[in-house]
Amino acid sequence: MDTDQKKGPAFLRPPGARTEEEFLARCLQCGQCAQVCIFDCIHMHTGFNFFLSGTPVINPVDAPCHLCMRCSAICPSDALHDIPIEQVRMGFARLDREKCYTWKGLIICRSCFERCPLKGTAIVLDRGEYPVITDQCAGCGVCEHVCPQSAILTIPTRFVE
Amino acid sequence: MVKNKKKKSRIRRYRRTTQMAVALTFVLVPWLNTKQINLVHGNFLCFNLASIPLADPLAVLQIMVKNGYLSQDLIIGALIALGIAFCLGTVFCSWICPYGLLSDLGQTVAGKWQGKQRGRAGNRSGFLLKLSVFFLGFAGFLVFSTTPVLNQLSLPAWYSRIFQFIFVQGFLSVAIWVLLLVLATEVVFRQRFWCRYICPQSVLLILAKQLNPRRLKVGFDPGRCMGAKGDKSPCARSCNLGLDPKRLDHGLETVCTNCGNCITACSNCGKALTSI
Repeated sequence: MDTDQKKGPAFLRPPGARTEEEFLARCLQCGQCAQVCIFDCIHMHTGFNFFLSGTPVINPVDAPCHLCMRCSAICPSDALHDIPIEQVRMGFARLDREKCYTWKGLIICRSCFERCPLKGTAIVLDRGEYPVITDQCAGCGVCEHVCPQSAILTIPTRFVE
Repeated sequence: MVKNKKKKSRIRRYRRTTQMAVALTFVLVPWLNTKQINLVHGNFLCFNLASIPLADPLAVLQIMVKNGYLSQDLIIGALIALGIAFCLGTVFCSWICPYGLLSDLGQTVAGKWQGKQRGRAGNRSGFLLKLSVFFLGFAGFLVFSTTPVLNQLSLPAWYSRIFQFIFVQGFLSVAIWVLLLVLATEVVFRQRFWCRYICPQSVLLILAKQLNPRRLKVGFDPGRCMGAKGDKSPCARSCNLGLDPKRLDHGLETVCTNCGNCITACSNCGKALTSI
């Protein structure tokens, strides 16, 4: 965790979160976002870090965000913007073509394409077959969650903004 | 006399019932949320009671000052809390705060265990120490930290957060041991250290109550007092915060939380103490 934090935190924030610094300065750590999340994907940050404790994080491997935006609507301190899902940039999904069934030519899988909340814009099919992640990706992590090959990794790029 | 005693001890019963109900609410809310009942949610930093916002004034002030913005919900929530303090004094501490309940019960247990003799807290109100914690934390947040540090010093918030952790994500936080450690220290030394000297959340409530000279407070009529002098008087022994209710005017009134223990005790011997 420590080494990760030098590069930037290694976890996703709920959709609509501002830049990390601004988000942390506004977050009341009240946990309302975690409590209204119907997909149980938002967890309050646990562990010994005194400063981050209680802030919401998402681990897409356990449960990805489905961009229902309930959390952003409920956030009392506006740490999470209430924005349309097309504008959400939680992170960015990176597809490893060495692992992907379709790109390797084994089978036509399309799991990620079918489950993407922004199907057709965030993930498009190259030549009707090969999944490609575009810059419209919201970083929700659904594709990472459903990928049978763990070929997709969601990177919290929001911090780079 | 008997009838009167019954009537007066009602204060304590009502208070305990309220405290227990609140403490139980914050256990049940995260559990209900996991059952998809989302009418109420939040913790002691910010709570949403069927879309009525309630918020910790200190948490709101921190993010308002740091970010320079106003959020309608938070302002309303904080003003409700401050309004109650303005009219009724710091009743939050004695009637609502779950840490207050635990600390209060801790003193009762300690009283049964070690006998009635209590270590005196002295005549200093301890408010200055609270104020320094308050300003240090505030300065720390504005200058060094990215997150509102004083929120982490809120024991009621930790109480509710522990249950949020347990029910929402099945995680037992180490904070529970910190909470129990503070509690155990208070029982051993028979003083409510946290409430009297540290809790920065109470600072704004105390300031709000000071603004209202006609707020609810304990009044003392020396002419009717027939108890013993000083520490041995029933009212002073009944005070969980270690105050002498007869001498509240000397700066100690800032600490008094209107719990009503002294009024109950006094109702058996002269009724010199009343709520005004």
